[in-house]
Amino acid sequence: MENQLLVRKIENGTVIDHVPAWHSEMVLRLLDVEKIRVMADFSMVSLNNVPSRKHGRKDVIKLNNYHLDEGNADLVCLVYPAVTINYIEDWEPRKYRPKIPELVVGRIRCPEVNCITNSPREPIGTRFRVLPGFKALQCEYCDSLLDFEKMPEYVKGK
Amino acid sequence: MAGQGFLNRDILSTKDFSRAELDLIFNTAKDVEENPGRYRNTLTDKRVALLFLEPSTRTYGSFEASAVNLGCKILSNRNPAVTSITKGETLHDTIKMIESYDTDCIILRDRRMGSSRFAAEVTDLPVINGGSGSREHPTQAMLDLYTILKERGEIDRVSMGFVGDLRYGRTCSSLSYALAGFDDVEISFIAPPILQVRREVEIYLEQRGVSYTKSTELRGAIPGLDVLYVTRIQKERFPDPTDYERIKGSYVVDNSVLALGEEGLGVMHPLPRVDELSPEVDSTGHAWYFSQAANGVPVRTALLSLVLGG
Repeated sequence: MENQLLVRKIENGTVIDHVPAWHSEMVLRLLDVEKIRVMADFSMVSLNNVPSRKHGRKDVIKLNNYHLDEGNADLVCLVYPAVTINYIEDWEPRKYRPKIPELVVGRIRCPEVNCITNSPREPIGTRFRVLPGFKALQCEYCDSLLDFEKMPEYVKGK
Repeated sequence: MAGQGFLNRDILSTKDFSRAELDLIFNTAKDVEENPGRYRNTLTDKRVALLFLEPSTRTYGSFEASAVNLGCKILSNRNPAVTSITKGETLHDTIKMIESYDTDCIILRDRRMGSSRFAAEVTDLPVINGGSGSREHPTQAMLDLYTILKERGEIDRVSMGFVGDLRYGRTCSSLSYALAGFDDVEISFIAPPILQVRREVEIYLEQRGVSYTKSTELRGAIPGLDVLYVTRIQKERFPDPTDYERIKGSYVVDNSVLALGEEGLGVMHPLPRVDELSPEVDSTGHAWYFSQAANGVPVRTALLSLVLGG
């Protein structure tokens, strides 16, 4: 009820639901939302710490008039496996089934402080190979592992 | 006599090399030893940059000797204190500068992990990893394998023990990756828990079905080994110095330890050693480490010849 009071349904766009409470900012960083902000008809609402039947409390993000690309959707679901993503077209939701990406490029910092990707001023991005069987990413530069569950700690800030 | 697929190739990790490619390196190194005249001054038109931003004796020296044998011109930069790196220059810019000096190949040692892979992305020149942080030292692993091949006759079916600092020692990971390409290899990782082999190395071996064990006890792991690879345990790795004092003696290799093994057990060490390998082993048949160090020149001569097309 509280959720419905806070925000109405959207006609077209993307709803990112079941985000762990207070993690919506991390999700927006993963989505590189700075790029979206320049779109004239785009609007967004981020709900924090609303009641959830499954998880007690959760965050919800509604991206109005924005169709989240599937690569970004896959990345969000990799970092937060409980997240659900619905694409809305003419008020009708369609649940997205995430795929596990082979590579994660940018967005995540390498956990190894001595990795060349953490060197100040070097013009280099990060690139991780996904090892689904081991529930981890592996840095393509230094081979360090990052467990899926620790990924939120390493989301790149602005 | 450039080998197929080697010309202008980067040498960044042993993971990038198939068994057939490693065999080509070993066959070329053998030829370098048997027919040195065939290689002398074959690359007089080539310029090799030695960019060593961390201390090195053997790797630098053997690359330099190899380049001299081949007749290459050497552009040497082995003291980071006198480079613009200390002024905050990026590795990217340093590599771009060296590239502009009409160089044919860059050999890089840097304390940062993954630095060679990045350097190889920055330049079209072939980059040879001369040691990057605590992760990889591929040319050391190649000369280690060449040593095993010479001393033992084959690398397949080797029972290999690694003892010491397996977590931060870059030779252990590079050699483990390389061994995974050979048949029926067994590996024992012997170290205190804080210095045990890293999980990514274990994953690599698991993905390739390589049999390995981990233990903390040196003496119990010796019987059945063909080769014992010793590395130094560094005091500064231990958060509590008393932990180091307590365990350091447990990982010293001397004749009493080697007496528990087979007669033909070979001992290897990337050197320098401190206290972990007793000098009393030097005069025994177990000591492979000095010939191991000497193998640096033929193996690195072979690599330069293959990469630069000698």
